[in-house]
Amino acid sequence: MQTDAPPRKTGGRLSREDQRRLGDILQRMYDDVLHQGVPDRFRDLLNELEGEGERTKSIPAAPQEEGASGSDSDHLMGTKGFDSPNIKGPH
Amino acid sequence: MTMRASVRDAMLAAVPSLRAFAISLSGNVDRADDLVQETLLRAMANINSFQPGTNMSAWLFTILRNLFRSEYRKRRREVEDTDGGYAETLKSHPEQHSRVEFQEFRVALAKLPPDQREALILVGASGFSYEEAAAICDCAVGTIKSRVNRARTRLSDLLSIEGADDFGPDRTTRAILSAGGRS
Repeated sequence: MQTDAPPRKTGGRLSREDQRRLGDILQRMYDDVLHQGVPDRFRDLLNELEGEGERTKSIPAAPQEEGASGSDSDHLMGTKGFDSPNIKGPH
Repeated sequence: MTMRASVRDAMLAAVPSLRAFAISLSGNVDRADDLVQETLLRAMANINSFQPGTNMSAWLFTILRNLFRSEYRKRRREVEDTDGGYAETLKSHPEQHSRVEFQEFRVALAKLPPDQREALILVGASGFSYEEAAAICDCAVGTIKSRVNRARTRLSDLLSIEGADDFGPDRTTRAILSAGGRS
């Protein structure tokens, strides 16, 4: 039983053209932000975080310990680097 | 390059799209940037739970999305500041008609239920597949598809698009523009 049925058929699909138009606006709005690049606050933050990691890693006094601290990195990265094509950049 | 540095670079590369996602979700630039910052801090702190070889961007989006959702639950009773701050992101757009168009769209987008909004953005703007979006939102692929469809339909209602197929190609744009200038 239908109550207050909308004038349009239920779940009415938009035409492809309307879908495309909506998509275009959404995409342009999104790209507008993408083109702003990386604000300094995030660059600074990540450099700082990376620096902390570096300091921690350089703390071990004996060279023998490097293997142990290195294993953490191995676990982190496995054999693959992160700068792989998997990472989606701005498009 | 050290391992840690390459993690940093991967995160750095993801920042623009994380911001675009966060701004689209929250409709507020300041809030969005706080979300991105929190996301990066959590990601660095939990980098061991990232699986090497998998999509770093998708992982970061998942963290951001979950942060937003938990924050949203907390803020549910607050009045949403949907367009405050967003005007700033429009500064780079010289064309006035684009600003009007974006503004109307922004307001309509903010009226969507969060689950529909995030699905539409992930698939329609962030460039994720339905499968990736489903993983990010922790739901079934079919759920994402129906959310995207409902989001589009709802948006078209809000923007006064009839959804019929007998309109010319400029219908959507005109509807959005006229919605901006209605008396």
